[in-house]
Amino acid sequence: MEKRGKLRIIKDILQIIQENQNSIKSTPLLRKSNLSSQRFSEYLTMLLEKKLVKEIEDKQGKKCFTLTDKGFKYLRRYEIIVGFIDEFGL
Amino acid sequence: MLFLVLIKMRLFVEPFLRGGFGVELIYSFVIIVCSLMVYFGTKELYGLSSHKGIKYFRQAFLFFAIAYFFRSLIKFLLIFFNVRAIFDFSPRAFGILTLFLFMYFSSMAVFYLLYSVMWKKWDGNSKKVYLFHLLALVIAFGSTISMNLQLRLGLNIFLFIFVAFVVYIAYKNSREKKKGYNLYVIYTLLFAFWILNILDILIPNFLQTFQLFIYLASSGIFLLILYKVLKKTGS
Repeated sequence: MEKRGKLRIIKDILQIIQENQNSIKSTPLLRKSNLSSQRFSEYLTMLLEKKLVKEIEDKQGKKCFTLTDKGFKYLRRYEIIVGFIDEFGL
Repeated sequence: MLFLVLIKMRLFVEPFLRGGFGVELIYSFVIIVCSLMVYFGTKELYGLSSHKGIKYFRQAFLFFAIAYFFRSLIKFLLIFFNVRAIFDFSPRAFGILTLFLFMYFSSMAVFYLLYSVMWKKWDGNSKKVYLFHLLALVIAFGSTISMNLQLRLGLNIFLFIFVAFVVYIAYKNSREKKKGYNLYVIYTLLFAFWILNILDILIPNFLQTFQLFIYLASSGIFLLILYKVLKKTGS
């Protein structure tokens, strides 16, 4: 199986959130992201810091993750970012 | 009123358009505009990805813009706004200072461009940037303080060989990975014309005959990179 790069992992996590009606709890997100719990935690912290996702409370008062506008933008621009990096050998 | 301003502008601008300075000014302006467009055109991609390669790539073009500002645009602005009437400074000292700044910023621009393609190979250790700053300072000092032409020539030829070697290694790696290596030719040409530009400044009359050709080719390479950036970013 091909090793995923950092940008790809971010895209996968964001896509999982988007495909779950833009609201998912931590445990199913960890399971679907195919990462170890330590790496998942690192990525989640990074996504929160970069304001690509934010934490909200659902109707039952449980913590969920949802995409921010920047997160949606990342998904839309992902192919362009990767294409740019490949084109310029960065 | 507008007419008077236009006449005043013409009186100031005319001396620059005589001789080679006018061409040099237009050339610097083209490089600055292209570089800033690359820098701002990639702002969103960097903001979203925080990718180190994109960061160094952007910084390279920002430093190119600053370098070319010190190359000729600052002289034009100082004379245009008649700054010497307010602050008295020696033109020779000013020339040395701007040459120093041009050498420093343009060397850093090349190092950043190198770093943008090699940062993964060099373990993403950002401390190397300090080494580049030190090297750029040595090059700038060596080129401005030393009057020895052979030393100036030697320093810059050594730098070009170093840069060409690193680009060649990056090219080989990307060929093995079978991805986006077509730009290395443009990078190599950019570095070659950068060296010719520096020789043109450091050793006047050395390349006088080919000056216009160097300017046109360098502008062409910057425009080509800008075109590729705009095409890829969809700006």
